[in-house]
Amino acid sequence: MPERSDDGLPRPPEAPILRWLHRLEDGLLSLALVSMMAMAVLQILLRVLFHTGVVWGDEFVRVLVLWLGLLGAMSASRTDRHIRIDLVSRYLPDRLKAFASGLIQLATCLLCALAAWYSVRFVLMEYEFHDQAFAAVPAWICELIIPLGFAVIAIRYGVLSVNRFKIVLKKSS
Amino acid sequence: MITFLVAAILVILAFLGMPLFAVILALAMLGFIIGGIDLTVIASEIYRITESPLLVALPLFTFAGYLLGSSRAPRRLVNLTQALLGWMPGGLAIVAFVSCALFTAFTGASGVTIVALGPLLLPALSQAGYSKSYNLGLVTSSGSLGLLLPPSLPLIIYGIIAQQMGEGKVTIKALFLAGILPGVLMIVLLSVWSLWTIRNRPIPLTPFSGRRAMRALREAAWELPLPLVVLGGVYSGVLAVSEMAAVTALYVLVVEVFIHREIRFRSLAKIMRESMILVGGIILILASALALTNIIIDAEVPTRLFNLIQAHVTGKFMFLIYLNLFLLVLGALLDIFSAIVIMVPIILPVAASYGINPVHLGIIFLANMQIGYITPPVGMDLFIASYRFGQPVDTLYKASFPFMVVLFLAVLVITYWPWLSLVFLH
Repeated sequence: MPERSDDGLPRPPEAPILRWLHRLEDGLLSLALVSMMAMAVLQILLRVLFHTGVVWGDEFVRVLVLWLGLLGAMSASRTDRHIRIDLVSRYLPDRLKAFASGLIQLATCLLCALAAWYSVRFVLMEYEFHDQAFAAVPAWICELIIPLGFAVIAIRYGVLSVNRFKIVLKKSS
Repeated sequence: MITFLVAAILVILAFLGMPLFAVILALAMLGFIIGGIDLTVIASEIYRITESPLLVALPLFTFAGYLLGSSRAPRRLVNLTQALLGWMPGGLAIVAFVSCALFTAFTGASGVTIVALGPLLLPALSQAGYSKSYNLGLVTSSGSLGLLLPPSLPLIIYGIIAQQMGEGKVTIKALFLAGILPGVLMIVLLSVWSLWTIRNRPIPLTPFSGRRAMRALREAAWELPLPLVVLGGVYSGVLAVSEMAAVTALYVLVVEVFIHREIRFRSLAKIMRESMILVGGIILILASALALTNIIIDAEVPTRLFNLIQAHVTGKFMFLIYLNLFLLVLGALLDIFSAIVIMVPIILPVAASYGINPVHLGIIFLANMQIGYITPPVGMDLFIASYRFGQPVDTLYKASFPFMVVLFLAVLVITYWPWLSLVFLH
C-alpha cells in the first residue's frame, strides 16, 4: 500500500533520540524477520537431510510472528497507518475532520494505554508463574512485547492527537 | 443501555476512521467487562496468536511479495506474458489480467499490484489503442484479481479462522485447490468481455515470435519456478504452507538481492519495515478479533442469528442470495482482512446449517470481497489507483463499473455452482 499521508502536512524533523529509537525498532524488526526465515528454512533442511530438527524451533518461529506483528503495528502507529474504514471523514470540512481525527487518536491512545496496563499485569502474573515457552526461555519474556507494543502505540497516538489538536487550535485563533 | 450506548459510539468512531484494531479491541474489552472477566485476559487472548503454525506464512509471503514488487520482476512478468499471449486477439488485455492475477496471488491483494504493474500496463494498453476509460478500469479492477489463486493471503487467513472454529476440513491445501477454477473463471469472463468491447476497434495483432518468447523466458528464468515450487510443494505434501512461505521468502530474497542485484542491501530494511506495517496491521486486528470471537460465541450470536434468519429465509438458495448481498455491502465497507476475522466466525456456523460446504463458503466470501475492492464509496483499490495514476476517484468509479458487473456475474456462477470450487476436493 502506498504511504498514506493523511494530513499532507510536512512532518517536523525527528529528534535525535527518536531517530535512534526508530532505528533500534527497525533493527529489531529486521532481526526478527531474518531469524524467522533462517529458523524455518533450517528446520526444513534438518528434517529432509538428517531427519532431525531443533526441538524449540517451531515454537520460536511462532513467537516471532507475534513479535513481528506488534513491531509492525508499532511502526504503523508512527504515522497513523493502521487499517481503518475511511468513509465519513472524507466528506467532512477540514476543521471538523482535523478535530475528529484528533479525538479518534486520543481514544485510540487511551484504549491502548488500558491494554498496556492490563498486559503488564498479565506479564507480571506469568513471571510469578515461571512458565516456560521454549528451550529455557520463560514465557513472560515472549509475552513482553504485548505490553511494550501497546505502550508504544499509546504514546504515539497520544503525540499524534496532541499535534492534531494544536493544528485545530492554531487555525481557530 | 450503557453497553448499547458505548457500542454505538464505537461504531460511529469506526466510521469516522478509528483504527479497526482499536474498535475491535474496545468491543472485546466491553464484552469482558460485562461478563465480569478481568481484563488481563486481553493479553492472554492476544498471545494465542502464537498457537497457529499457519500464521507464520503471513509475514513471510508478504515480505516475499514486497520484495518482488520492489524489484524489476513485474516488468519481467509483463514481458513474459506479452511474449506468450500477446499474439491473441485482445492479447494485451489478457496479458494484463493474467499478470495481475499471478502477481496478486503472490503479493496478497494489498494494492501492491496496482502500484507495481499499473504503470507498466497503462501506457502499453493505450499505445495498443484501448480507450482510456477501459484501461483505467482494467488496472483498477485487476488489483484484486488473483485473490482466489494460491498462495493468496486472504485464503490463508480464512483457513486459519475456519480451523479455529473447529472446521478441520478447511485445510489451506483444500482452499488452495478450491480457488483455482473460480479464479480462472474470473480471468476468462473478463477476457471474453474485453474481446467484445474491442470488437469495433481495430487493435493490431502482434505476431508470435519464438525468439522474443525465449528471451522473455530467459530473463524471467529465476522467478519462473516460483509458482511451480509453491504449488508443487503444497500439493505434493512435502512442505507445510508455512515452510513453503519460508522457502519462497528466502528464495526471492536471494534472487532479487544477490542474483539480479536489483534491490540494494541498504533498502532491504525499508522493504522489511513496509511489509511488516501491513502484517502488523493484520495481526493486531486478528489478535483483537480472537478475543472478540470468544465473546460472540459465548453470547450465542451465531445460534441466535441462525434462528432469526431461519424464520425469514427458507432454503439454501434464498440464503445464498442474501449472503451475496450482505457480503457485497460488507466488502464495500471493510477491508478484506477485517471482514474475514470479524464476520467468518459468525457466518460460518449459520451457512453450515444451511448445508453450505465451509470450503465453498470461503471461496464465495472472498469472491464477494474481491468486488468490494472496487465498490464505492470506500473500495481500497479505487483510492490506490486514484493516488497512483492521479485520476479523480469519480473517474475510476465509472471506469471500473463494467468490470464490476462482469466480476459480479462470476461471483454468481461461483456461488450457485459449488462444483467449480469443490471439484478437486473429492
